Amino acid sequence: MSDAIHLFGIRHHGPGCARSLLQALQALQPDCLLIEGPADAEAILPFVLHEELQPPVALLLHAEDDPRQASFYPFAEFSPEWQALRFARERGIETRFIDLPAAHQFALEQAWREEDAAAAPEAAAATPESDAGLSGDPLGWLGQAAGYADGEAWWNHMVEERCDGQQLFAAIAEAMQALREQAPAERSPRRARREALREAHMRKCLRQALKDGYQRIAVVCGAWHVPALASLPAAKVDNELLKGLPKTRVAATWAPWTYRNLCSASGYGAGVDAPAWYAHLWRNPEPGQRAVTWLARAAGLFRAEGLDCSSAQIIEATRLAEGLAALRERPAPGLEELCEALQTTVCMGDAAPMRLIRDRLIVGDRLGTVPADVPAVPLQRDLEQQQKSLRLKPQAAQKTLDLDLREPGGLARSHLLHRLNLLGIRWGEQTRGVVSSKGTFHEVWSLQWQPELAVAVIEASQWGSTVESAATARAVARARSSESLAELSELVDDVLLANLPQAVAPVTRALEDLASLATDVTQLLDAVPALTRIARYGNVRQTDTGMVRHVLDGLITRAAIGLSAACAALHEDAASAMRERIRAADAAIRLLDDPARSQDWQQALGRIAAFGASHGLICGQAARLLFDADAEDLDACAVRMNLALSRSVEPAAAAAWLEGFLDQSALILMHDPRLWSMVDGWLAALSDDHFERIVALLRRTFSTFSAAERRELGERARRPAAATVAAPAATRWDPQRAALPLPLLARLLGLSNDGAFS
Amino acid sequence: METSLVLRQHAEQQFAEELDQLRKQDNRQRPGNWELSPWAVVTYLLGGKLDNGFEVSAKYIGSRRLIETAVATLATDRALLLYGVPGTAKSWVSEHLAAAISGDSTLIVQGTAGTSEEQMRYGWNYAQLLAKGPSREALVESPLLRAMERGKTARIEELTRIPADVQDTLITLLSEKTLPIPELASEVQAVRGFNVIATANNRDKGVNELSSALKRRFNTVVLPVPASEAEEVAIVNKRVAEMGRALELPAEPPALAEVRRVVQIFRELRNGLTEDGKTKLKSPSGTLSTAEAISVINSGMALAAHFGDGLLHANDVAASLLGAVIKDPVQDAVVWREYLETVVKERSDWKDLYRACREIE
Repeated sequence: MSDAIHLFGIRHHGPGCARSLLQALQALQPDCLLIEGPADAEAILPFVLHEELQPPVALLLHAEDDPRQASFYPFAEFSPEWQALRFARERGIETRFIDLPAAHQFALEQAWREEDAAAAPEAAAATPESDAGLSGDPLGWLGQAAGYADGEAWWNHMVEERCDGQQLFAAIAEAMQALREQAPAERSPRRARREALREAHMRKCLRQALKDGYQRIAVVCGAWHVPALASLPAAKVDNELLKGLPKTRVAATWAPWTYRNLCSASGYGAGVDAPAWYAHLWRNPEPGQRAVTWLARAAGLFRAEGLDCSSAQIIEATRLAEGLAALRERPAPGLEELCEALQTTVCMGDAAPMRLIRDRLIVGDRLGTVPADVPAVPLQRDLEQQQKSLRLKPQAAQKTLDLDLREPGGLARSHLLHRLNLLGIRWGEQTRGVVSSKGTFHEVWSLQWQPELAVAVIEASQWGSTVESAATARAVARARSSESLAELSELVDDVLLANLPQAVAPVTRALEDLASLATDVTQLLDAVPALTRIARYGNVRQTDTGMVRHVLDGLITRAAIGLSAACAALHEDAASAMRERIRAADAAIRLLDDPARSQDWQQALGRIAAFGASHGLICGQAARLLFDADAEDLDACAVRMNLALSRSVEPAAAAAWLEGFLDQSALILMHDPRLWSMVDGWLAALSDDHFERIVALLRRTFSTFSAAERRELGERARRPAAATVAAPAATRWDPQRAALPLPLLARLLGLSNDGAFS
Repeated sequence: METSLVLRQHAEQQFAEELDQLRKQDNRQRPGNWELSPWAVVTYLLGGKLDNGFEVSAKYIGSRRLIETAVATLATDRALLLYGVPGTAKSWVSEHLAAAISGDSTLIVQGTAGTSEEQMRYGWNYAQLLAKGPSREALVESPLLRAMERGKTARIEELTRIPADVQDTLITLLSEKTLPIPELASEVQAVRGFNVIATANNRDKGVNELSSALKRRFNTVVLPVPASEAEEVAIVNKRVAEMGRALELPAEPPALAEVRRVVQIFRELRNGLTEDGKTKLKSPSGTLSTAEAISVINSGMALAAHFGDGLLHANDVAASLLGAVIKDPVQDAVVWREYLETVVKERSDWKDLYRACREIE
């Protein structure tokens, strides 16, 4: 191999690597820098020195005609590639990206996907390419060989947390050489092919740089690739391999990135666990001071959050961290030792405050920025495409839009607008007026495009590269952080309205988790009606509501179990609020029409209907609901009323019971002479004193009846109690005539076939 | 008395051979007055193989990091507080740490509501005091004082049960490492190697909560409940087998399936999450420690042996299971019913348990 080429195998986002790399570049003074990065992103390299391009940022490549095909190459300030790029650009050194162009990578993936879809359409979606190969995590294997639990800890200890870097790259090359020799063959033939193509392309670029006459060529690439580039075989083999690769049009840009996103695997297939810790390592090269400054920052953070943390505790934490490092035979305390020391000395061994440290000092919440003049982000393009295909032009003037959800076009527009709202891009606002409420087929929107929405689009681009994927990611993130059942059930509704099938499961899952921990039965009861509506009418919008159904089942079971405890010892106001809740929930459960749930619910009602189990109002209401649901017959009702209205009962309680039982309608009294005579007898037996006390309550009860009912009751009261009203003649049904309007009804409701009626 | 006749031996007696072997093999640096180096102490607690092939048994099954933190704390002259729910081997670890570090686990103050300052510092032998006046001979040393003089590890059990004013004795003792004896116009200065291991139960937080001044003088290690189901099943099985022998229960050894199920129920309720991670649960007010799982299985075995067919079935464990879970008759009953209706009922192979539990209700 030529002496002109100097290989630097690094770990993406390794601060120790970055430091060593800078030292090595200083020593070498290269005249050409080759970096492992997609060759078609070179056009946007000049932005690197732009002062508004502040890491963490990601180099974003996406297929021009399909923004869903995108890959991100994130850089943090401590990424070796980033430092190398800046080093070269500042000195005007020729800089090239040498990885296989994304144009080929995307085209290959596309071809593979099509192959899969053709071979087995249903299996294609189920088997994403797994990353189990050795090349996916070479350090893990080295770490395991060295007896560490994971490769990251090993590498941190061996490389990132040390300072001597001169021999580092030779050592890395040697280790990788050994590893690659021992490595089993790649399991997936496709991955193997892509690896081979990438390395062939890198070698090709190396040869080109040599041909261009550069004398000192620095090559910065992932450690794994070093052995493959160490020798340059005949160009012919590589050229053969690279010949005739499919290609697609690709656009590149810079996107703002976050430390949190850095944690997960991305375009490099390499995520780091502790970006903020790495940033700390990068800024504090001195190992002696590193632990102390970090602990001092932790102390500041604890105090800012109102947790006690004295200097004495930080001194003890430093001592313990050093003791632990000595016990584990490490030269200086690493992240693990520091965390354990903090937890032991400052947090009383409690792990909860350490989450704060993890969020702020280990992962970090830093957000990068990009200049305004970088090319458009894919989310923007995707939005423009959809605006075009749905013929929804962004206009500054306000405009009202009436969408008919039975038409595919109307439905798609509604989905788009709901998704944008989820993303915080408030282009359209839904007016929930007379014609538009959930479950109907019209939605009325007022649309107005404001200039600041463009900024909202860029902000939202951190969530994904298409409107759908971004809205999904955003909804899932919101669901994870939400702590209110009402907010979550609304989010479930929004997600269904926006037709985000991928988000339904995580969001309903979050709802379920919250519901199962909720001890407040009123919250559970409040969530039941909204969810029932979704479960019952969601299908009209062609969305899957099976998950919601599952959550709802759990919710009802839990509410039923906790109901009697929640109804005990309520005062007047609380009782009437609870009564409304029970009525609403009961209506919802009846709408749901599920025998098992209804049974649970009715058992719970039966428990609170026993007189004395709760406030009279609720007992009465529960008794009435049981009667209405045919769970109890008139005889049982009569027994309950007899108990409630018996002489020993405090008249106020009896009146409250009556108010609950009558449930704003006197029909039941007129229907059954027994009940009527009981109420009549009870009223007649009241002493004057008692009657005066409850007359207001009774007035309130009877004033809710219709005028006709009141008149009839009055007339009935005049007659002797034994007189009965003749039962109305049984209605005769003519099924044939009844069936006549059904087809029209089905059309009105947008149901394609009559089977949808239930 | 011959040690072999003792009902329960001290750790340093029971594991004398292991300690001896470790001492012989241990050539690392030892802090002043330590019998073993910190590395050897960790090995003693967690078990391992020595260079000469000698096998050291594991005293504590669980996280290595916790034990390392505990030993490093003691090595840096800080007092150690072992904290955790009842039944998580706090006293056990404390005894073995003292045995390994000082070769003596008997310098112990048992914390109770009646623990007095004399038990923490020193008392007087009144006969001597009257006969000779105040002198060192008339002084009755507390285990703490003895540990200070000899550079040993003192143990304080149930620190939070000790009244707050008595706890305060420890504050100066731990920071200045001296104990003044004003009656004799002298003091005892701690010798290197002196340290204190305290245990406290975090369910009894309210009894006598530690003052922040005292808290600050301890490094706290929280001993958790077993991390994995397999670990817990192993512990329960081992202890149940040992205890069954001691009680001479005629039942068959416990069915592993039933033990697993009980452990799973305990873990799920304790963690507030089903093992498959799909459903969150409310946790009851009780601890649901491994020790209680052991007792559920034990009483189930007794039921099966005396009133059943000798084999452990769902209905044998159901009664004691309910008793272990429901400590608060209102709140815990709701938690248990929710668990029964939303989790147990859904599991097709748990039908017998569901029925057995419903019958008891």
